[in-house]
Amino acid sequence: MAQLRQDYEQFKQRGAEIIVVGPENAPSFAAYWQRNELPFIGLPDPKASVLKLYGQEVNLFKLGRMPAQVIVDKQGVARYVHYGHNMTDIPSNSELLALLDQLNSTSEA
Amino acid sequence: MPKISLNTLAPDFSLNDFRGNKVSLSDFRQKAHVLLVFNRGFV
Repeated sequence: MAQLRQDYEQFKQRGAEIIVVGPENAPSFAAYWQRNELPFIGLPDPKASVLKLYGQEVNLFKLGRMPAQVIVDKQGVARYVHYGHNMTDIPSNSELLALLDQLNSTSEA
Repeated sequence: MPKISLNTLAPDFSLNDFRGNKVSLSDFRQKAHVLLVFNRGFV
C-alpha cells in the first residue's frame, strides 16, 4: 500500500481512482489510513461481500487472504485481474500504470 | 474458485467507506478507471 501511495499521483494522472477493500472494520481502516496518510478510498468489508463477489480465496483463512487487483475501465468493464498466489504476489505499479496507458490510448483512438 | 471474467462488466457493489460515505463501483462509470485492490489485511 505504501507502494501505491507513492505513485498515487501517477494513477490520478491516468484518470484512475484507487479503491482498497479489506476485511477490517471501519475504525481499523481509519486508524491505518491516518497512520499512513493514504489518499485512496478505503472500504471496510468485514462480511467479505465484495471479496466473495470477486472470488478472492476467502476459504483459505489459515493461509491468509491472498491479495488481488482488478482494473475496471470507465465503461465499468473489467480489463485486468490479478489473483495473487502468495502474500507478496503483487503486480508492480509500472505494470498497472502501463495497462492504464493502454486503456487511455485505445479509448481515445 | 470463482473468478470474474475479463472484458465483461465488473460486478457492481456498494459499501460504506470508513468515513461512512456510500461508494459504489458504478459511481465511477464514465468518470474514472478504478484500480480495485483486495487487501489481505493490514500488517
